[in-house]
Amino acid sequence: MNIVVASSSVDGGIGCWDLQTGAEQLRYKTCASTPHGLTSVGSRFLACSQLRDPSATSGHVLYWSWSKPQAQVKSFPAEPIKPLAANSEGTYIVGGGLSGDIYLWEVATGRLLKKWHAHYRAVTCLVFSEDDSLLISGSEDGCIRVWSLFLIFDDVRRQQASHLYEYSFTEHTLRVTDIVKGYGGGNAIIVSASEDRTCKVWSLSRGRLLRNIVFPSIIDAVALDPGEHVFYAGSRDGKIYIAELNATSSTSNGYGLHIIGSLSDHSKPVTCLAYSAEGNLLLSGSEDGMVRVWDVKTQNIIRMFRHAKGPVNNIVIVRRPAPPLRAESKEQFSSRRHELSLPPPLEKYANSTDEDMDNRTIITLPDTRDLPSYLSSQLINDHIKELQQQGSSAAAEMDVERLKHDCKRSMQMFLKLKKTYDNLQEFCISELLDGEQKGGSEGNSP
Amino acid sequence: MATFDQFENMYDMRLKPVMLRCLIRQYLPDEKRPLSLNHTCSELPKLVSIVQTFRLLSESETHSVDQKLINTWRSAVDDWVNRLELLLSSDTSDKCWIGICLLGVTCLECSNQRFLSSYTVWIDKLLSRIQPPADSQLVKIASCTSISDLLTRLARFPEVKKDGNLLAGKLVQPVLKLLNEDSVEAVLDGAANLLYTIITFFPASIHHHYDRAEAALASKILSGKYSTKTLKKLGCCLALLPKSKGDKDSWPLMMQKILISISDHLNEAFQGVEEEGKADEARRLLVPPGKDPPSPLGGTSFKAARNSERLPASTVSSLMFCCCKMLTSSYPFQVTAPIRSMLALVERLLMVDGSLPHTMLPFMTSMQQELICSELPLLHACSLELLIAIIKAMRSQLLPHAAYVVRLVTRYFRSCAPPELRIKLYSIARMLLISMGVGMAIYLAPDVIDNAFNDLNSLGCEEVETSPAKIGPSTGALVQPSNRKRKHGAKTGPLEKLDTTGPDVETPNMHQMTPITVKIAALDTLEVLLTVGGASKSESWRSSIDSLLIKTATNSCKGGWGNEEDNIFLPHESTSIWTDFQLSSLRALLASFLAPTCVRPPYLSQGLELFRRGKQEAGIKVAGFCSYALLALEVLIHPRALPLDDFYSAYHNSADGASHRFPEITHFSGQKQDTMFFNGMRTTKQSAAESHHDDLYDRWLQNENIPVENLEDHISRPKLGEKPCANDSSFTNIVEVSEQEPAAANSGALERTIDEITVQPPNFQESIPKSHEIVSAEVSMIPAVGRNAEGTEIEYKRSSPACDQDMVSGDDVLADKVDVFENTHGNTCSTLSNAEKSIAYVGHLESDSSMDSFPDIVDADPDTDSD
Repeated sequence: MNIVVASSSVDGGIGCWDLQTGAEQLRYKTCASTPHGLTSVGSRFLACSQLRDPSATSGHVLYWSWSKPQAQVKSFPAEPIKPLAANSEGTYIVGGGLSGDIYLWEVATGRLLKKWHAHYRAVTCLVFSEDDSLLISGSEDGCIRVWSLFLIFDDVRRQQASHLYEYSFTEHTLRVTDIVKGYGGGNAIIVSASEDRTCKVWSLSRGRLLRNIVFPSIIDAVALDPGEHVFYAGSRDGKIYIAELNATSSTSNGYGLHIIGSLSDHSKPVTCLAYSAEGNLLLSGSEDGMVRVWDVKTQNIIRMFRHAKGPVNNIVIVRRPAPPLRAESKEQFSSRRHELSLPPPLEKYANSTDEDMDNRTIITLPDTRDLPSYLSSQLINDHIKELQQQGSSAAAEMDVERLKHDCKRSMQMFLKLKKTYDNLQEFCISELLDGEQKGGSEGNSP
Repeated sequence: MATFDQFENMYDMRLKPVMLRCLIRQYLPDEKRPLSLNHTCSELPKLVSIVQTFRLLSESETHSVDQKLINTWRSAVDDWVNRLELLLSSDTSDKCWIGICLLGVTCLECSNQRFLSSYTVWIDKLLSRIQPPADSQLVKIASCTSISDLLTRLARFPEVKKDGNLLAGKLVQPVLKLLNEDSVEAVLDGAANLLYTIITFFPASIHHHYDRAEAALASKILSGKYSTKTLKKLGCCLALLPKSKGDKDSWPLMMQKILISISDHLNEAFQGVEEEGKADEARRLLVPPGKDPPSPLGGTSFKAARNSERLPASTVSSLMFCCCKMLTSSYPFQVTAPIRSMLALVERLLMVDGSLPHTMLPFMTSMQQELICSELPLLHACSLELLIAIIKAMRSQLLPHAAYVVRLVTRYFRSCAPPELRIKLYSIARMLLISMGVGMAIYLAPDVIDNAFNDLNSLGCEEVETSPAKIGPSTGALVQPSNRKRKHGAKTGPLEKLDTTGPDVETPNMHQMTPITVKIAALDTLEVLLTVGGASKSESWRSSIDSLLIKTATNSCKGGWGNEEDNIFLPHESTSIWTDFQLSSLRALLASFLAPTCVRPPYLSQGLELFRRGKQEAGIKVAGFCSYALLALEVLIHPRALPLDDFYSAYHNSADGASHRFPEITHFSGQKQDTMFFNGMRTTKQSAAESHHDDLYDRWLQNENIPVENLEDHISRPKLGEKPCANDSSFTNIVEVSEQEPAAANSGALERTIDEITVQPPNFQESIPKSHEIVSAEVSMIPAVGRNAEGTEIEYKRSSPACDQDMVSGDDVLADKVDVFENTHGNTCSTLSNAEKSIAYVGHLESDSSMDSFPDIVDADPDTDSD
C-alpha cells in the first residue's frame, strides 16, 4: 500500500494517509521539519531533520518507527542539518549542513562515515541517483554538484583527483530550491528549480545544461513525470506549471517557452510536490496546510488531506507492505524481528579511535530460501545403480547372505563329490588289488 | 476380480486401487516369498514411477465419487502401508531396505490425513533402523533419507510445528552419533542430509545439542579426508547451525571461529611462500588486540591431526564454502560481519602465486613449492567465491570498501590465467557493476575492457574447429606477450584491431587459446558495462568496443547457427555452448547499439542484418532474442515524439520541429544532439517571437496517413517501375526525413527532393563524400563558417567505411543500387541531427552543383537569421 507522508515547518506532527483509500494512519508527533528534511529510510522507518528556528545554531534528527507515534531516536549532528536523504536500500543517510558540509552516516551503526565540504553556503537539497551511486546536492549559492560516492570513499583516488565532485553546475544565480532525478543511472537527466525563477534540465552523462525554462514566478518544488514527458513545477504564485520535456508544446498560452499548461487551485504558494507512479497521481503541498491529490490525466483534484495550519513542506510517498493478517503476523514478525527495532542515533563526529568497528559492518543477510527437497526416489535410483554394479562395499554387504547360502550349498556339493570320489577311489583300489591278485596268479601260472 | 470391470480410460479413478493392489502383489516381497534382489533392483524404480505418475497413494478427489470407491482405495493403501511396515521390521536387510525406501516415497505421496495420523509411528520405526549397531549401510542411509523426507513433509503443516520440534529433537542425538562414529562416507553424506533438513525446518530442536553438533561437524571437516561434495554438505550444516540458537551473537562467533581456523591452516601452508608478518596481520584483524580469542572451532578438546605432507586445501576450501553459505543464507537478526578480515583473507589467498619471496628462498624445497602451486588454483577459486558471497551479502554497504575490492580485482585480473578463474572474475566484475552502478563503471571500465579485448581477440579452440576455413591476415601481434598491455588505446583504429581475430591455423598457439566459456563471460561483462556505464566518460573506449563487438558477433554467426537440441553424444554442459556464445555476442551487440553515445551506431546496418538473419534462421533461443533486438532497435531507428494525448486536446496547437528532438537527448544524448537542443530552443524562441506557427505537426500526420502512397508512386515511377523491391520502411524513412525539413521548405521542394533521390543513384558514389562536407559544415550550427566541425568529422569517417562497403557490393542492377542507396542514406542520415537532415539531403542529392544550391537551403533554415 502506498502511504503519503507529509510534514510541516511548524509543529503539526507527521501526517500519514493511505493514498488509495484516503484513510488517515497514525500521526507521528512533534515534528517541525526543514524543507527536504523528511525521508523514509528503506521504508523501514521515518527520519526527519528538525529546525525549530531558522536562526538556531543547533538542530537534531528524529527517527520514528512506523508503529509508534513518539519519536524514538534523537540524534544531535554537529550543526543544523537541512536536507536529509537516504539511499533506496536504507543503508546510508546523508545530511546537508548549514555550513555547506555534507555528512554521510551509516544507518545500522549510526557512524559518521564521511564528511566533506561540498558548497560555500548551506546545502538546500540532496538527491541520490537511481542506482544510488551518485549524490546530487544543491546549495544556497545556486550551485549544483554531482558526487560519486565511490570516489568519496576511495582515499587513494581522492588524493589524485583535483576536485571531489564529478560535475559542478553553476548556471543558477540564486538559491537552488529543489532537484529531482530522472530515469536511468548514468544517463539520467535531473531537473532543478531555483529562486532565480528558472528550472533547468541537466544531463548527468554529459554534465551539461540541456534546457532552461523561465517561469512567471519562483518555483519551489519540482516533480517529474515517470515517462519524462513533462515535469511539474510548483510555484509561489500558487500554480503548478506543466513544462514539456519530451512532448509537443504550444507557445501560445502566455506562460512562456516550453510551459504547456498549469494546474491551479491553490491560492497559497505550492511548497512541495510528489508524483505517485501508481495511478498517475500528483501530490502537492501548500502553504495553507493542505495536501492535494491531482489526477494528471483529467487535471482534477481527486482528494485533499488536511495536514496542519502551517505550510506543508515535505511530501513523501512510501510503499509499505499491507499490514499482515493476524494469523500470519506472528510468524512474519518473528522472522524479521530486526525491522522493529530502530538503529542507534547518528554520531556527531567521525570516531576514528574505534578501529575494531571499522573492520566490521552490521548487515542484514539476504532473505533467501533454499529448502531441502524430497530425496527418496532419487535415493532408490542411486542405490539400485550401486547394487547393480555390485562394486561397492555397501552392496556387497547385502549379498553376503546370498553368498553364505551359496557357500553352504557348495559345501554340500563338495561333500557329495568327496563322497563320490572316495567311493570311486575305494572301487579303483579294490579293482586294482583284485587285478593284481589276478595278475599275480596269472603271472605265477605260466 | 476387477478384470471384468470396464474402465473408461487411464484416468479412471476406479483403476487406481486395482493397480495398487496389483503392484503390491507383483513387486513387494512378503514373508512367504523370498526376495531376489536382482529382480527387485530392476523393478523398484518402475514401481515408484508408476506410483508417482498415477498418484496411487494420494487418495485424493475422494469427494467426487462414491463411497465404495473411497473405501476400496483406502483399504488398498492400508494394505500397502501394512506391507511396508512388515518389510521394515523384517530381519533381512534387503527387505528392510526396500521397506524404508518405499516408506520415504509414501511420506511424499500419501494424503495429508494419513500422513498426520501415522507419521509418529513411521518415524519411530525409521529411527530404530539408524540406531542398532550392526545394520547395513544402505539401510542407514535409506533411513536418513526417508526421515528427511518425512520431516520435509511435516514442515508443511504449521499446526504440528511444536510436535515436529519435539520429534526432531529426538533425532538429533542419533544423527550426531552417526556423524561421530561412522566413518563410511556414504553414511556421513546421508546423516548430513538429514541434519540439514532438521536445521532448516526445526532449528529449535538442535538448540540443546549446539556444541556437540558443532564439534561433530567441525571434526569431520577439519579431517579433510572426504570428497568435496560431502565436505560441502557438512560445511553447509555448520553454516546454518547458528540459526538454531537464533540470537544475535552466534553468527558472528561462528564466523570468527571459522576465519581463525582458516587463517591457522593458511599460516602453516603458506610458510615460505608469503612474506612474514602476513600471518600476524591476519590474526590482528581477526582478534582485536586486548580481546580474548574465542574457543577454536569444534571446541577446545579437539585438535586436528596435521599432516605436513599434504596441503589442507580441501579443509580450507570447505571452510571457505561454509563462510560463503553463512553470508548468503538468511538470518533472523542483523549481524556484525567482520568485513575487513574477510576481505583480507581473500587478498591473502589471491596474492600468493607460488613465487618465493627473496627472504624465503633457502627454506623451501622445490617439492614444497610444487605442492603449493598445484593446490593454488583451487584456493584461488574459493577465495573468489568468497568475494562473490561478500558482494552479495553486503550490497550497498560494500561502498566504503569498494575501492579496495576494485583494486584487488583489477590487480588479480591482470595475472590470472586459468579459464575457470577468469570466468569467476568476470562475474565479480558484473556484480560490482550492477550493484554499484555508474560510479563503479567509471573505475572498472579500463580493466574490464583490457581483459575482454585480450580474451575476445585471441584464438578460441572451438572457433578453429567449427570454422576452419576462416583465415585472417597474418597476426604477428597475437603471439607477442605484450599483447596483454592496453591494446585498446584510444588511437588504435577499429579495423586493424579486428584483424587479430582471424585465427592463424598454421601455428596454433595453445597459450593464446581462450575457451569459449571465457569469451562468453567476457561478452556478458561488456554488455553489463555498456548498459551501466555506457553513458559516462566512455568516449575513450566506445568506438573500439563497438567495433570489437560487431566483429565478434559477425564471426560467431558466420559458421551457421548453433544447434539448440541436446546432443546426446556430448556431456551435458557443452550441448548448446555455441548457441550461448552466439546469444551472448548478439546481446552485447544490442547493448552496444542501445547504450547512450554521442554518435550514431556505426555498425547498425551490419547488426540489423545479423539480427534479421538470426530471426529467420536460428533456433528458438537465438531467434527469439533477435526478434527482441529488432523490436528494441526500432525505437532507435524511428525516434518517437508522440503528442501527449492528455494535453493534446487542451493545448492543440502545432508543434515546432525542434521540440521533437527531446527524446534524442534522453535516449541517445550526445554532443551534437545537445547543440541541436540549443538550436531548437533558439528556433522556437524565434518562431515564437514571430508568432510564426507552421503546421508541420499536422502535416506530419497527413504525410503519414495519406500521401505515402502518392510518394511511393512518385518514387517508383521514374526508374523502378517494374522492380518495386524497396520495402515500406525505407520509404517512410525518406518521408520522415522530408518531414524534418524546416518550416520554410515547401511541399514542392519536397517532391522535387524525392524525385531526385531516385534519379541520383548512378553517380552517388562521388556524392557521398561531398555531402559529408556539406553536412559537417551545417552541423556546426554556424551556417556561414562550417569548416571547423571536428567533433562531427570523426563520425563521418566512421560511417563512411560502411557506406563504401555497401557501394562496392552494389553493382549494375538498379534495384540493388536502390537498396544500397537506402542503406547509405540510412547511415548518412542517421548521423545527422534531424533539423539538418533535409538540408543534408538536398545537398547530397544535388552533389554536382551542391554549392550552388546551398544558399537556398540556408535561406530556408530559420537559424540563419539569428546568426
